[in-house]
Amino acid sequence: MLYREAGQFKTSYASDQALFPIRQDQVVVLLFLTFAVFVVPFIANQYILNTILVYFLVLALAAIGLNILTGYCGQLSLGSGGFMACGAFAAYKLTTGFPDMHIVVVFLLAGGITALVGVFFGIPSLRIKGFYLAVATLAAQFFLLWLFNRVPWFTNYSSSGTISAPPRALWGDQWYITGPQASPVTKYVFLVVFVGVLALVAKNLVRSRLGRSWMAIRDMDIAAEIIGIRPMVAKLSAFAVSSFFIGISGALWAFIYSGAVEALAFEVTRSFQVLFMIIIGGLGSILGSFLGALFIVILPIVLNNVLTAIDPSIDVGIIKHVEFMIFGALIVLFLIVEPHGLARLWQLAKEKLRLWPFPY
Amino acid sequence: MVDAAQIATAERLAERSRRFGPPLLSVDHISLSFGGVKALRDISFDIRQHEIRAIIGPNGAGKTSMLNVINGFYHPQEGTITYKGRERRAMRPHQAAKQGIARTFQNVALFKGMSTLDNIMTGRLLKMRNVRAPETGIVGLDPLLRFGANAIDFALQALYWGPNQKEEARHRAFCEEIIDFLEIQAIRRTPVGKLPYGLQKRVELARALAMEPELLLLDEPMAGMNVEEKEDMCRFVLDVNDEFGTTIALIEHDMGVVMDISDRVVVLDYGRKLADGTPDEVRSDQAVIDAYLGVAH
Amino acid sequence: MAANGSRTLAPRLALWVLLPLGIVAGLGLLLQWMTSQGIGFFDWYFYFEVLITGLLLGVQYSLVALGFVLIFKASGVFNFAQGSMVLFAALTFVGLLENGVHILLALPATLLVMWILAVLVERVVLRRLVNQEQIILFMATIGIFYLLEGGGQLIWGSQVRELNIGLPSGRIELFGGAILVQKFELVTAAIAGILVAVLAIFFNKTRIGRALRAVADDHQAALSVGIPLTSIWVIVWTVAGIVALVAGVTWGTSLGVQPTLALIALKALPVLILGGFTSIPGAIVGGLIIGAGEQVGEVFFGSLVGGAIQDWFAYMLAMVFLLFRPQGLFGERIIERV
Repeated sequence: MLYREAGQFKTSYASDQALFPIRQDQVVVLLFLTFAVFVVPFIANQYILNTILVYFLVLALAAIGLNILTGYCGQLSLGSGGFMACGAFAAYKLTTGFPDMHIVVVFLLAGGITALVGVFFGIPSLRIKGFYLAVATLAAQFFLLWLFNRVPWFTNYSSSGTISAPPRALWGDQWYITGPQASPVTKYVFLVVFVGVLALVAKNLVRSRLGRSWMAIRDMDIAAEIIGIRPMVAKLSAFAVSSFFIGISGALWAFIYSGAVEALAFEVTRSFQVLFMIIIGGLGSILGSFLGALFIVILPIVLNNVLTAIDPSIDVGIIKHVEFMIFGALIVLFLIVEPHGLARLWQLAKEKLRLWPFPY
Repeated sequence: MVDAAQIATAERLAERSRRFGPPLLSVDHISLSFGGVKALRDISFDIRQHEIRAIIGPNGAGKTSMLNVINGFYHPQEGTITYKGRERRAMRPHQAAKQGIARTFQNVALFKGMSTLDNIMTGRLLKMRNVRAPETGIVGLDPLLRFGANAIDFALQALYWGPNQKEEARHRAFCEEIIDFLEIQAIRRTPVGKLPYGLQKRVELARALAMEPELLLLDEPMAGMNVEEKEDMCRFVLDVNDEFGTTIALIEHDMGVVMDISDRVVVLDYGRKLADGTPDEVRSDQAVIDAYLGVAH
Repeated sequence: MAANGSRTLAPRLALWVLLPLGIVAGLGLLLQWMTSQGIGFFDWYFYFEVLITGLLLGVQYSLVALGFVLIFKASGVFNFAQGSMVLFAALTFVGLLENGVHILLALPATLLVMWILAVLVERVVLRRLVNQEQIILFMATIGIFYLLEGGGQLIWGSQVRELNIGLPSGRIELFGGAILVQKFELVTAAIAGILVAVLAIFFNKTRIGRALRAVADDHQAALSVGIPLTSIWVIVWTVAGIVALVAGVTWGTSLGVQPTLALIALKALPVLILGGFTSIPGAIVGGLIIGAGEQVGEVFFGSLVGGAIQDWFAYMLAMVFLLFRPQGLFGERIIERV
C-alpha cells in the first residue's frame, strides 16, 4: 500500500528511463544518503567506521568493477586481486614521485593505469572463453603479484616489501585522508562521496549504449556481432572500465583502509573474495555489488561474535574453519535458492511490498 | 488452364515488379564446405532491391548456410558476393550490419538476460552516437578525431544526464514505433527469456527492424506458429517491405506463405540450386516437385 | 573425417615424437649458447636431470588434473573443489593412520569416506542444480571447496603431517652418477600411468563410460533416454575422489599433508588448459609439458629474473598455448551454431 506506483505517470521517455522512476524510491534513496553522510559519522564509533564501513566501501568498489566484467559482460575473471595490487602500487609510485599531485587525481590516474593493464590482460578474451579465460586471468593474477613482490622499484626499494601511504589531505592542510592524521570520520565521508560518485558513473555506463553492448556479449556474443557490436571493442572496454574501478579500489585499500600494505594482501584469495561478493550480491547488478560487499564484511564479524559468545575460549583457527564452512554452505545455498543473489531477493521484497498488506 | 487466382497473382507481381530496383545483392558461384561436407555447391542468384525473395528447400539443403554466408558468419571457399555494387568474398558480421544487413535466426538469437525493450534498443546501437567525428580525409588525422570523439562519447555516457539522455530518449521513441508496429507493447519490460516462442520471434524481428536495414534476412520467421500468428507475421513482413522498402530474403517451409508473399523463389537441394524464378514457375518445375514439393493427392 | 586418420597416422606419430625431441634439443642448444655468452650456467647432464625431474613432477600435476577432467567430461562441471578433495582425502587417510588404524584398513576406509562425500555432493548440491548454466555449477563447486577446506581442518586439525606409507625413497643413478632420479617420483609416475590407462579404458570402452559422456553433453537429454543421472554423478565423483586420494598420498608424501595441498589444484589448471578440459591423455601430456617447462624455466631462466617464477610460469606457458589453440591440445573444438 505504501509502495504503490498508481498515479505516477511518466510523460517523457527520459523520465521513464530515470534511475529511480518511482517516487517512493527517490525519497528513500535521498533519506538514506543524507543519513549516511550526515548522521552516521556522528553516531558510529571509530571501530565501526574503520573496520566495517571503510572496509565495506572499498570492497564495494572492487565488487562493482568485477561485476561490470563478469556480471554485465560475462567474462569470468579471477584476477581482481592482481588488479587491485596494480592500482595500489601505481598510486604509491605516483604519489611518491609527484608529492604535490592531489590525492584524488592520484587515485584516478592509478585507476587509469590499471585500466591499461586490464586491457592488456584482457586480450586473451578475444580468443578464449569461459573457464579457459578464468585461468588466463589467473595468469595475470600470479604474474602481477610476483612482479610487485620481486621488482623492488615498485616498493621504492624498501627492505620490507610493504608500501606505506604518505599523509595526504584533501584541501591544503585540512581533511587528511591518509596517514596518521587522518580521522576515521574524514576517511568515511570522503569514501561515501567518492565511491558514491563512481558507483553512479558505473550505473550510468551500464544502462547506456556501452552497457547494452556488454550485456549482449554476455548473453550471446555471436548474435551481438550481427547487431554491429564489435566483440573486441566491447570486451576490451569491459576489461578497461572494470580494471579502472578495481584499480582505484586497490589504491583506496592501500591508502585509506590499510595504510600500509604488501602485495600479499592482494593474493588470489582476495580475487575469490571479490568474486563471492558479486555472486552473493547478484551478478549484473550495481546494488548487488554493495549488498554482496556488505555481506562479506559483516559475516566474519557476526560469526566471530556468535562463536565467542557460545564459547569464549574458542581457538581462532577453529573460528576460521567454521567461517570457511559457513561461507561455502552459504554460496551453495544461494546458488540453489536464488542464483541471482541478494539483489534479486531485494527486488522480490519490493514486489511484495507493492501489495502489502495484501498477500496477493 | 489459367485460373483467376493465377491471373491475380500475375497482375500483382507485374505491378510489384515495377517497384523493383537493380540487384541489391548477388551471389556468384558460391561454394562452401566444412571439412568434407559440401554445404553449398556453385550457387548463384540475385536479389533485387525492394523485392521479397524466398529461399526454400528440404532440410539440410544449405539455406541457413547461404544466409550465414551473406551475413558474414561463414566465409565461402569459392565465389563472391556483390552487395550494393561492391564485390567481396568475406566480411565479418558486424561489417555486414554496418552495411545495412539485418538478420533473424531459426533458433531465436535474442539476448535472454535483457528485456524486450533493451533487446530492441541494442538494435539501435549502430545508429546511436553522442558525438560524431568529422571526416576530414586527411591521412592520420581521422583516426585521431575518431578516437577523440569516442572518448567524449564515453564520457557523456558516464555522465548520462545531458546529451546522452536525449540520445537515449530519441532512440527509445524510434523503438517504441517499432513496438507499436509489431504490437508488442505489453511485453516491453519482460525479460525475453520468459516469452513464448512466437513472441520471441516477433521481438527478434523488432530488433532487426531497429537497425533500419536495407536487406533483411529472415530464417524461418514463421516456424512454430499457428495460422493466426503466421497471418500476423506475413502482414508484418509485407508491411515492412511496403512502408520501408526493405529488401527481404526469407527462408520458409510453409508453401502457402511462400507462394503468397514472395516475388521470386530460389530452391536449394543438397547445396545445389534447383530452380530460380517466380513462385508459379517454381511450383510447376518438375525437379522441384520431385525433390521437395511432391504432388497433391 | 576421422576415416582417413589411419593414412595420416604414421606422419602424425612422427610429428608427435620428433617435435618434442626437437624442442628439447633446441632449448638445450639455446641454453648452451647463453652460457657461452656468460649468462647463467649449463650442463647437458644437469639439463636432462632437471627435465626428468620436471617430467615426473608433471605426472603428479596430471594426477590432480585428471580429477578435473573426469568430472568435467562426465558431468560438465568444472570442479573447483578438486584441490580440497585432494586435501580432504589425504587428511582422512593420515588421520586414520595416526590413530593407529592399519594401512590396509585405512585405505578402504578413506575410499568409503570419499564415496559418502560423493553421495552427499550429488544429493545436496548437484541434484538441485540440474541443467543450470555451467558458471552456476562452477561457483557451487567453489562453495564445496570452502566447505571441504574448513571441514577437513576442523575434523583433523591443520598442522603439517608427515605421510609415510613405505613408498621407496632414495635415488637412482643414471649414466654413472651424472643424472640422479628420485625413486619416489618414478613410482608415482608408474602409479599415475596405470591409473590413466585404466580410466581411459573405462571411459571409452565401457557402457558406463558412454553414459558418462552423454551426461557431460546434456543433462536433460541424458535423463530423457533413461540414464540415471544421480547414479552417474555419484560414480563420477567417487572415481574423482579415488584419484584425489592417490594424488593426496603422493603429494602428501613429498610435501607433507598440509592445508596448502588444496592450492595444488591451482597448479593443475595450466595443465588443463594445455591438454584440454575434456581429455584424459591431454591431462597427462599437458602435465608433462607443464612440469618439464616449469622446472626448466625456474632453474635456467628463473635465476635471471629474480627467481620464484614457477608461480606464474606454468600459467604463461599455458596462455601462450591458448592463443594458438583455444581448446587445448586434445580438447574438443567448441563449435557454436547459429
